[in-house]
Amino acid sequence: MIELRNVTLKYGEKVILDKVSMTVQDNTIKAVLGPSGVGKSTVIKLMLGLIKPNSGQVFVDGVDITPLREADLYPIRRKMGIVFQGNALFDSMTISQNMSFFLRENLRLPDEEIERRVAEQIRFAGLEGYEDKLPESLSGGMKKRVAIGRALIFNPKMILFDEPTAGLDPVSSRKILNLIASLKKSNDLGAVFVTHIIDDVFAIADEVAVLYQSKIIFDGPTGKLHDSDHPFIKSILSDKILEL
Amino acid sequence: MPLTLIGNYVDSKVLRFKELLLTMQEFFYFALRAFSTLPKAKRYWRDVLDQALICGVESIPIVLVSSISIGALMAMEVGNLLEEFGAKTMLGRSTSNAVLRELGPLLMGLMLSARYGSRNGAELGAMQISEQIDALRAFGTDPIAKLVMPRLLAALIMFVPLIALSDFAGLQTGALVAEYYHKLDPGTFWNSIYPRLLPKDFVVSFLKAPVFAIIVTLVSSFNGFSARGGTAGVGRSTIKGIVASSGLVLVANFYVSKIVLDIMH
Repeated sequence: MIELRNVTLKYGEKVILDKVSMTVQDNTIKAVLGPSGVGKSTVIKLMLGLIKPNSGQVFVDGVDITPLREADLYPIRRKMGIVFQGNALFDSMTISQNMSFFLRENLRLPDEEIERRVAEQIRFAGLEGYEDKLPESLSGGMKKRVAIGRALIFNPKMILFDEPTAGLDPVSSRKILNLIASLKKSNDLGAVFVTHIIDDVFAIADEVAVLYQSKIIFDGPTGKLHDSDHPFIKSILSDKILEL
Repeated sequence: MPLTLIGNYVDSKVLRFKELLLTMQEFFYFALRAFSTLPKAKRYWRDVLDQALICGVESIPIVLVSSISIGALMAMEVGNLLEEFGAKTMLGRSTSNAVLRELGPLLMGLMLSARYGSRNGAELGAMQISEQIDALRAFGTDPIAKLVMPRLLAALIMFVPLIALSDFAGLQTGALVAEYYHKLDPGTFWNSIYPRLLPKDFVVSFLKAPVFAIIVTLVSSFNGFSARGGTAGVGRSTIKGIVASSGLVLVANFYVSKIVLDIMH
């Protein structure tokens, strides 16, 4: 379980998040919805401890990670996988090297076990035959699937997705959303995904938190979003894609 | 109105100064972390070897070009000058002082700042912009240990033989110019060098290798890690890295010479 408690984050004088609180339960798909530049990706980075808030606390499985040193954060981060918006694949490494890299870096596993885990993720991502290709030779959707496979390599409890369908064509978007939904069903995984596309939220999210002007203006089951009276939520429900 | 303008100007200067102090603080913390990860060299020995190849072996042509140029130039110009005073037999000594102590290491430092520093800045900057450095942190790998320490260690190891090569090539070229341009007997050229070579000549020269290695690697890597704002940001951070490391190489060149020569005079 991940919890943000009264988190405030500023860049200089600019307030990015203002006393934001939210909880992500295990085995739940939670969307963080908001317009571009509102600080959605920042929420994910706070959950991983990649950035520290000015005030407030971030709990991962009951542990407050805000005062932890970088080295102490590594084992906690491995409980979560992350898929970055631009995938953040290592462009000088092949697909299988990208997937095995962090296993070799962080765990003392025999080569056979590493190869088994990588093959499992390659199969899951539907990338058989592409093991020795470089990321540059793959399509956007395939790169995203490699990034998802890499995020699963430590068998995490939760995966964090930063705009998972941004820049993808509708067919690839649908495949990625199905993949995220299947993670919950087949692997009992929870997920947090930040997005500005409301259709994605209704497609797979159990819960949604809406971030607007540095604050959470809605946090609850996706089905209840229609009940909100907030003018911004009413407008996004009619416009579908947030253009701000 | 003029008072407001002056006030705004002062405020902006104070802000810039604060930013400079903050950047310096971040840099020293970054440098400290890079040095503290040196014990992990065994784990990242393949990366160290890769970087040694890039900053060492692949830099040989540019180091040779600069050292040969400076050796030839010094021998030609100083020889012309010494001829006026009838002291051409001192050409070897003059050339060796310039090549060994000052211009050889300095030019090598500047060339490596341009070649290796720009590569570091651009590569790490691109990794920062594409969130690859965040990915390392997110999956539990220390990016300083993985990316900066191998560069630092490789430079610390490889800059020493590069300086030796630079000194050797510079002096050999000086000797050739002395022989064929100034018609000076090679024995006269080398005899004016060997008896007068002192330990301090080598200390000055070789002490500059680790100093330049630290400056070039850490400044360029720090700027790469600080890249923000897309591909234009990578360009800006790379330029900042090269300008800063080149400037610091020039300053360090002076102070290393001064301190060593003061101590060992």
